[in-house]
Amino acid sequence: MPGKCNLTNASDEQLVTATIQGDTSAFGIIVERYWNMAVAIALSKIDNLVEAEDVAQESFIKAYSQLHALRDPSRFAGWLSKIAAQQGVDLLRRHARNRTISSCEVGELEALAPASISNANPGLTNEQTNFVRQTVSKLPEKFQKVIIMRFVAGLSAVQIAKKLGKRHGTVRVWLHRAYQILRKDLAPLFEEVRQS
Amino acid sequence: MLSDKQFAELKTHTEECQICRAELDRCAQIQDIIKQAFSSQTSAKQASRTILSQIAPRRIKPASTPSFRRQTAIAASVLLAIGLLLGFGLAKVTALRRIAALAATKTPIRVTDLEGTVLVRHQGSDIWQILQANSNIHVGDTFHSAAKSNFTLEMKGKSTLEVDQNSMLVLELSNGETQFHLEHGKLAAALNSPHAPFFISTPHGRVEALGTEFTVKVE
Repeated sequence: MPGKCNLTNASDEQLVTATIQGDTSAFGIIVERYWNMAVAIALSKIDNLVEAEDVAQESFIKAYSQLHALRDPSRFAGWLSKIAAQQGVDLLRRHARNRTISSCEVGELEALAPASISNANPGLTNEQTNFVRQTVSKLPEKFQKVIIMRFVAGLSAVQIAKKLGKRHGTVRVWLHRAYQILRKDLAPLFEEVRQS
Repeated sequence: MLSDKQFAELKTHTEECQICRAELDRCAQIQDIIKQAFSSQTSAKQASRTILSQIAPRRIKPASTPSFRRQTAIAASVLLAIGLLLGFGLAKVTALRRIAALAATKTPIRVTDLEGTVLVRHQGSDIWQILQANSNIHVGDTFHSAAKSNFTLEMKGKSTLEVDQNSMLVLELSNGETQFHLEHGKLAAALNSPHAPFFISTPHGRVEALGTEFTVKVE
């Protein structure tokens, strides 16, 4: 097991093993490493940033408590992304149920929805942020995952392939196809930015 | 992933080629706006601290023993598999026995002529099958001719038995002497002499063939 000073550079496999053996600080490194990815995955399901962060947090806690179920520790990121996506979908279902129960609130919630979009970056307006999130969430699930892992978590195609248990070539094709779709669908945004 | 050499080549190329330069810039732009749109307000370090404070009292669930429900499910699956195997095995054995028994009861009596729909049920079976022309019949077979249907059985010595429509006939014996049971309907026998003992039983009595041609009718 690597020492604490080496934890930051340790592989996912080493960190997961250390966590299972009782070293919670190793799990802290894992959270730091994949926090942004988990939030982004949740954001691809839910519009609200605060809720997405809650989902990401719950996903890490769930992953921690079920860490023994992870057969291949080197695939932690892929496994976490599945948990985060599922948690996001579960939250949406709960929202849908609540809306069904109190249908009178539906209008109010929908009216509030665009305003409730939190934006952590001043570079994009709320509308632009919403547009980008919607565009990404329209991508097929597998494309969403690789785009977020590539652009948000900053993983290479080789690393993504390893973490998802896919072939390198498959991930490269997915990235390329996702990029082509995004390039086309985000064109109006680039035009808007260029004009402003 | 690009090697250092490939990366250097790409860099040189993009400095010279405007189209590729623009494409690379667009890719960087897309990456930037996605990163912005999906970024968290909470820093990763802060999130890590919060999560660690929440998981501190928790324990990782042990992986060793499956839950009671899972154990029950596994046991049920094993029992089901065994049951299915036994079921299929028994069914196969029963089918083989039935085929063997059927072969043992096969007679030289053949269906020579058949019109319309005639059903046959072998002894010990609940299944009615379509009687096929030119097939041999078995001891214990029950025949049922539907309306506007009839069939002819040919026995040893070219003797024949014509069974009329709406009749039910059972072959009871074929071991030197032949005995049919006519439950209802009508049949006409034409026996070539000399012939072995031949009987037709009915719910009302038993007929022994002495002559060569006769008709039996049960209403």
